[in-house]
Amino acid sequence: MENNHTPINTILDSLKARAKEFNCLFKVEELLTDYDQDINETLIDVIDIIPEGFQYSNYCQVKIILNGETIQSSDFTDSEWLLSAYLAVQNIKVGSIKVIYTKKFPDESDGPFLEEEKRLIITIANRIGDFIQHQELQHLLNDIKQVKSKRKTDATREWRIAVDLTNRTDSELYIKLTRKMINYLSWKGIIEAVEILQKIGSVKSSIIEALKEGDNIPHLRNKDINIRPYAERVFEIASRNLSGEEIFSCIQKWMHEDRTSFLLKTVINLDSTLGNIADVIRRFRFLSSEGTTLSDYTLKGVRVALIRKIISESLEYINITKTYVEIEDFHHLLKRMIYPTGSHGQLGGKSAGLFLATQIIKGHLHEHPELKEIKTPNTWYITSDGLHNFMDHNDLEDVTEQKYKDLRQVRQEYPHIIQLFKSSQFTPEIIKGLSMALDDFGDKPIIVRSSSLLEDSIGAAFSGKYKSLFLANQGSKEDRLAALMDAIAEVYSSTFGYDPIEYREERGLIDFKEAMGIIIQEVVGNKIGKYYLPAFAGVAFSKNEFRWSPRIKHKDGLIRLVPGLGTRAVDRLSEDFPVLVSPGQPDLRVNVTPDEIIKYSPKFIDVINLETNSFDTIEIAGLLQEYGEEYPGIMKLISVYRDGRITQPSIMDIDFKNDDIIVTCEGLISRSPFMKQIKTILNLLQEKANTSIDIEFASDGKNLYMLQCRPQGTGEESAPVKIPKNIPKNDIIFTTDKFVSNGLVPDITHIVHVVSKNYSELSDVADLLRVGRAVGQLNKLLPKHQFILMGPGRWGSRGDIKLGVNVTYSDINNTSALIEVARKKGNYVPDLSFGTHFFQDLTEAKIRYIPLYPDEGNNLFNEEYLANSPNSLAELIPDYSDLSDVIKVINVSEISPGKVLEIYMNASINRAMAALVKPRNKK
Amino acid sequence: MSDSSFNAFEMAQAQFDRIADLLELDSGTRDLLRNPMREYHFNIPVRMDDNTVKVFQGFRVQHNDARGPGKGGIRFHPMETINTVRALSMWMTWKCATVDIPLGGSKGGVICDPHNLSQREQELICRGWVRQIARDIGPLRDIPAPDIMTNAQHMLWMLDEYETIHGAKFPGTITGKPLGMGGSLGRTEATGFGVVYTIREALKVLGIDPGTTSAAVQGFGNVAQYAIKLYQQLGGKVVCVSSWDQAEQTSFTFRKLDGINLDELLGITNRFGGINKTKAAELGYDVLNGDEWIDQDVEILIPAALENQITGDNVNRIANQVKIIAEGANGPTTPEADEVINERGIYMIPDTLANAGGVTCSYFEQVQCNMNYYWSKEEALTKLDQQMTSGFTSVNDLSRKKKLPMRDAAYVIAVNRVANACRDRGWV
Repeated sequence: MENNHTPINTILDSLKARAKEFNCLFKVEELLTDYDQDINETLIDVIDIIPEGFQYSNYCQVKIILNGETIQSSDFTDSEWLLSAYLAVQNIKVGSIKVIYTKKFPDESDGPFLEEEKRLIITIANRIGDFIQHQELQHLLNDIKQVKSKRKTDATREWRIAVDLTNRTDSELYIKLTRKMINYLSWKGIIEAVEILQKIGSVKSSIIEALKEGDNIPHLRNKDINIRPYAERVFEIASRNLSGEEIFSCIQKWMHEDRTSFLLKTVINLDSTLGNIADVIRRFRFLSSEGTTLSDYTLKGVRVALIRKIISESLEYINITKTYVEIEDFHHLLKRMIYPTGSHGQLGGKSAGLFLATQIIKGHLHEHPELKEIKTPNTWYITSDGLHNFMDHNDLEDVTEQKYKDLRQVRQEYPHIIQLFKSSQFTPEIIKGLSMALDDFGDKPIIVRSSSLLEDSIGAAFSGKYKSLFLANQGSKEDRLAALMDAIAEVYSSTFGYDPIEYREERGLIDFKEAMGIIIQEVVGNKIGKYYLPAFAGVAFSKNEFRWSPRIKHKDGLIRLVPGLGTRAVDRLSEDFPVLVSPGQPDLRVNVTPDEIIKYSPKFIDVINLETNSFDTIEIAGLLQEYGEEYPGIMKLISVYRDGRITQPSIMDIDFKNDDIIVTCEGLISRSPFMKQIKTILNLLQEKANTSIDIEFASDGKNLYMLQCRPQGTGEESAPVKIPKNIPKNDIIFTTDKFVSNGLVPDITHIVHVVSKNYSELSDVADLLRVGRAVGQLNKLLPKHQFILMGPGRWGSRGDIKLGVNVTYSDINNTSALIEVARKKGNYVPDLSFGTHFFQDLTEAKIRYIPLYPDEGNNLFNEEYLANSPNSLAELIPDYSDLSDVIKVINVSEISPGKVLEIYMNASINRAMAALVKPRNKK
Repeated sequence: MSDSSFNAFEMAQAQFDRIADLLELDSGTRDLLRNPMREYHFNIPVRMDDNTVKVFQGFRVQHNDARGPGKGGIRFHPMETINTVRALSMWMTWKCATVDIPLGGSKGGVICDPHNLSQREQELICRGWVRQIARDIGPLRDIPAPDIMTNAQHMLWMLDEYETIHGAKFPGTITGKPLGMGGSLGRTEATGFGVVYTIREALKVLGIDPGTTSAAVQGFGNVAQYAIKLYQQLGGKVVCVSSWDQAEQTSFTFRKLDGINLDELLGITNRFGGINKTKAAELGYDVLNGDEWIDQDVEILIPAALENQITGDNVNRIANQVKIIAEGANGPTTPEADEVINERGIYMIPDTLANAGGVTCSYFEQVQCNMNYYWSKEEALTKLDQQMTSGFTSVNDLSRKKKLPMRDAAYVIAVNRVANACRDRGWV
């Protein structure tokens, strides 16, 4: 194990042995948490389990002697091949534990026993000791409670017994109690106590003096003095001035605090490692019986310290999270954290988001019972310093320099780095952790995601910049472990990929230390044939940046929904579409005609192929034909196209082989609690986290699982953009304050403007059609994604051609924004289309849609610029030069040298502006 | 909107005037047929989901019902204009008359955008529309059907409201209903088969054996697929089809000179008639540019995709061998191209005739509903064949007799039939 270059088989053999020991330890641990169980019965069970942890389990027997009583395996015989350990309570020996082999085996480090087995038996012995101590304390407490309930009035007797007992058994605690009591009495203003304090402490600085205003001389420090001689007197003063109940409750509280003070000490200590913290939390759980454990303020301090240490240092994050977590939550979290020895690592942004979201939902269940069925998948974490540990272990530090190299070089060298990482080794403690995680996951497919510290420290969106990898997780444990390590190495290597480095450089984050947590999450889903997939999955945004109707408000949110793995909802796929629905307006659909519904329905599905261990994209139609009947919750996802109509078939009606099945998610949207659940989650998280958010979710057909939660503003395309001030009026092309979303459209070099008035005056239908063709030509000629289209009414409308330019999506697919202009006609302003005819095409291609109402409100519309700028139409497409009055092509950079057009959209203030500005500096 | 701007109704009137001149119609008949007989404009108040009330504007234009109850769609469109609806209702009158269906022409609509409406709100608009016009539509007066942004669901809501108001079942009030709710079998095949019935008759006229012919088809949607099916049954060879590629946002032509295999192609085609390019190439098809269907050395061209496909720009690419063009789509030929085609003597089967299978089948739906007895698919298709063949024959005869282009002949026959009906009734 110590050798870094041990062949993988040796590591795995040894790992198997480790796994045995761990299993054994876990089982023992499980037994030793049931404090109500009789000690002897518990030990009988423990004796049965211990042999499981040893190499030759079948020849292993155990004997425990506790307080003179013997408990042993049924056929225990003494033997020369023996391991033993003491059982101790508060450092006093109370018994022993012996493990023997009944026959001789080859020599290991200690006779036939392994070094690890030796450690195992010592650990178990310690745990039994703790268990006994805890039970004793509990009994004592129960006794006290009983006495208390019997004779409530006689508190005086009780505190005297307690103090007396402490005096005789734990003098350190006795002194602590005395010190606390004298402070308490002084604070209460009891003169005698103040006098004693003055006598034993600094004579000059009385407590009162210390509080004098304007005192800028350092207080003299109390010398370490012996308070012991005054102890009896202190309690005597107390008995005269305080009620028995008061003294009793004070002493009880202080004793508890003392017992648990190690917790606060450890968690606030900067040097404490995650290992230390896990230990103290375990100890704390152990000691804290129900009821009072820590004072509220200590508890708060501990919680905050734990959040800061384990999850995030962001003050905002801590402030929200601290009201939602209990120490118990950290215990569960730590159980599933994998970290290097001496780790000070954290979870990273993605994990932090999910943790907080889960806690908030848990905390508000009573108000929102519909969220009871929301779950989170089984998740393990590798802390952020795992990456450093990995690189250090393999001498890969020089790879860090990668980020300072030329971007071209970064791109060139990246494949090499992936290979380098993949051929490197993990440290034994990480492998051990991963092995435990795999035992926990079983052979369920898993996903390995990055959880970068950059995500929550700066609020920058790194989603998709780093890798997420699916693993089928099939085959032998060796194979599964190898695949998992391979995947983690690959995710680690993605830190040094072109995209993240470019992204960091652009945002001035390049010098940030590489630290990336890893999330290993069970993939929610079911096995269907040879595939594994969720019934459905998707992403939900609390703010809707792609509204398809003026009735949908920004706050109505947006859900992108797909069958199978959510990758197809997260990513933009121009050749396929997710189902879009707005949780605030579920009845207003993007697609309303059967043609639209069919065209924009998902056709493909992402699955994990369990046979080939691969991530596949397959046709939904084929999958359903074969496995439709087995697909959980399928009736909620599909509709059938029959006779020109899209209907919801009944379960008895459906014929998966022959029906024309369309994925609409109609049942899910209109006849299940799903929409309400998502809406509640979005509203709740948005309100509590005080920011718009997005979540990823998946369902196995029964329950809804939340997979991820992060602030929505971090998405590049959905962040509100600051609208620049001080731009000369002449350089503003338009402003608008209606239906504004968030986003930025940069680097526009050309404006294609179809002039409303001149277009509507065309008298020949052929000319009207030619305007559409001309736009199609321009779409091919102009620099891609660097031009915008502006024009009257409803683009691509199938109705009256004069009401909007006759284009199909292919005529406009290279534009960066489609702008519909609604000019007032007589006394009314016409409705705009909101791009409905190719709305989903626009969304998937990230083409922004902006409606303009130049004649309403205080909006600017720079007609002078648009009308007077030279027209490049004839130059670009001479065949259409006769349409020069109708179509204007403005070369922005030529007319205003050194400038480009940018569109700023800010939904928070409901304002957007297009202006001529200097181009952004791109490295 | 200035007067010089494009106006669909004025265009329809201008077309009519030209035919009226050919027919030498008297001014009374012209005045009657230039304008709709009746127009209904009404308000439809709807309580929206947010509890506000919104008032939608509805129309029904009945252009002419001298030959029978009106027939025509209901459009939901946010920018609907009365002039468009007028033009379309007139067009319906001529369309029904061309194939001699005993129905008149109507059109209607509501100014609204279903994209901004929930299902419930759309239902209320449908029911509200019927409430306003329930006395003036019906199986014996005027029969609505689905059109832009309306579908079978809207028709069923409307039918239900109509039957509720009249207290009886009148499935013939509306067409475009699903099977089992009064829809007709054969509807899926109707338009495509109709195209080929007229091609078959045209070949007869030209004395050509269908078995010796080949065809190029633009489009691979419902109309094209069924046209190919029937044409191949007649012994014809389809050498290419063109289809839209959603991923590449352009169209391609798929050619196999010894004849395409329909089933094979359908196996690699999506719901929208998009053929998988890669798989087609694997199957041995030449993948050509989308517009190359027009260049093929075939006897028959079937444009069955979109309007304005044969234009002045590409009409001269049509091979000398081409004998027949059958317009499966609406308006695939521009007037400029039409002139060239006439000059070259290519036999043109105009859209009003070639794709009338659809409206004929709607008529059949209505007939079956009225007697509450439904035909088998064979029966429906046989009747369709008869209707289309007889429609073709009269247009062809007139075209030969009066040396008119087929398009004009079809128009003349239609206007003449309607004018005669008005005269016979003593209206003019």
